[in-house]
Amino acid sequence: MQLALDANMTNVQVPAERSSSELDDIDALVRTYRPRLLRFVTFSIGDADLAESITQDCFLKAYNGRASFRGDCSVNTWLTSIALNLIRDQQRLQKFRFWRQARATAIDVNDAANFLPSHESSAEARILAREQTQQVQAALVNLSANQRAIFLMRFADDMDLSEIAQTISMPINTVKTHLHRALKAVRAQVGTR
Amino acid sequence: MNSSSHLSEDQIDDYLIGDLATGPASHLATCDPCQLRVTAAQAPIASFKAVSLAWSERRSATLPPQPVRAASPAWHRHAAWAATASAALLVGIAVPMTKHDVRSTPVAATAPLAKSLAQPDVMTASVQSAAQRQPIGSRTVAASYSSQDEQIERDNRMLQAIDRELDASVQSPADAFGLVTAGSRSPTHGRNAPVQNWD
Repeated sequence: MQLALDANMTNVQVPAERSSSELDDIDALVRTYRPRLLRFVTFSIGDADLAESITQDCFLKAYNGRASFRGDCSVNTWLTSIALNLIRDQQRLQKFRFWRQARATAIDVNDAANFLPSHESSAEARILAREQTQQVQAALVNLSANQRAIFLMRFADDMDLSEIAQTISMPINTVKTHLHRALKAVRAQVGTR
Repeated sequence: MNSSSHLSEDQIDDYLIGDLATGPASHLATCDPCQLRVTAAQAPIASFKAVSLAWSERRSATLPPQPVRAASPAWHRHAAWAATASAALLVGIAVPMTKHDVRSTPVAATAPLAKSLAQPDVMTASVQSAAQRQPIGSRTVAASYSSQDEQIERDNRMLQAIDRELDASVQSPADAFGLVTAGSRSPTHGRNAPVQNWD
């Protein structure tokens, strides 16, 4: 796990002043990136409680390894790459049950739709949003791990294709292929294709 | 691209992915039906994005913040372990040697020494019992300092008694020649200077 993390860190180059200012303040780092990172990990593995643990571990590793963060990418990209390595390690070690088996701590986004800003959406729109979210969530279950991670990076975290390719260490054309397959499956699930 | 050749599903996917070619992109900019199709395709994903972020923000806000352990240098941890191991080793060696020294000394020669060594326990017990007899409220700081001074004085007397016993039991090579000098008076000379109270 450490080797994979270090290898990923050495591939990333970040301006020194940004790493020193942003990564040294662990509280601000967690405050800024935790919700996005938690979402990525949670919907990647399908277990909310385990996602909490992995997210915490991710910040710990990022903070401890900030000296090796040289990079030419955003902090969000770097954190996502660390989280991705942790998820892969968990998958290799089979320490958790995958999407199809996860039930006890499965993600329940039903209530989350109620926390959408009320000034932006009516009650009907929130109900629609909840239904659409459940459909996308159901579609994610049937994707491969790579397709799911790439889909989340592109459509949840708004990362561009080059960032995704760098994060997941894949050629950009492979990323496009995974995205096309994932998007086709999701759109078929929600009925827009 | 004219109005009869609207975007295909794959091209809509390309647009959502961010990889739409220039020709279809220019068509999309002017074609309302295609824009509606793209909007319809985007809507569920946008909903998922908004709702899942609301969910994770809520969960992050409701869970207590877990402290992130600060980085600790590896050498620091290793030094701490080495110091602990060294201390344990020293104690493990020193305690048996001390017991062995006491046991290996002849009984006749060590009788006064044993008596002197047993004295601190009596003293400590008497001090402890005296302290227990006093009410807690009367134990002032000055009293504790004076009891410490008394204890130090008793310790000094005990060490001097030990020194005298050792001087009497150990023969100096100079004794065979009847020489008595100030420097050869005791092998432990100067070792048992009264203990200072560093408090």
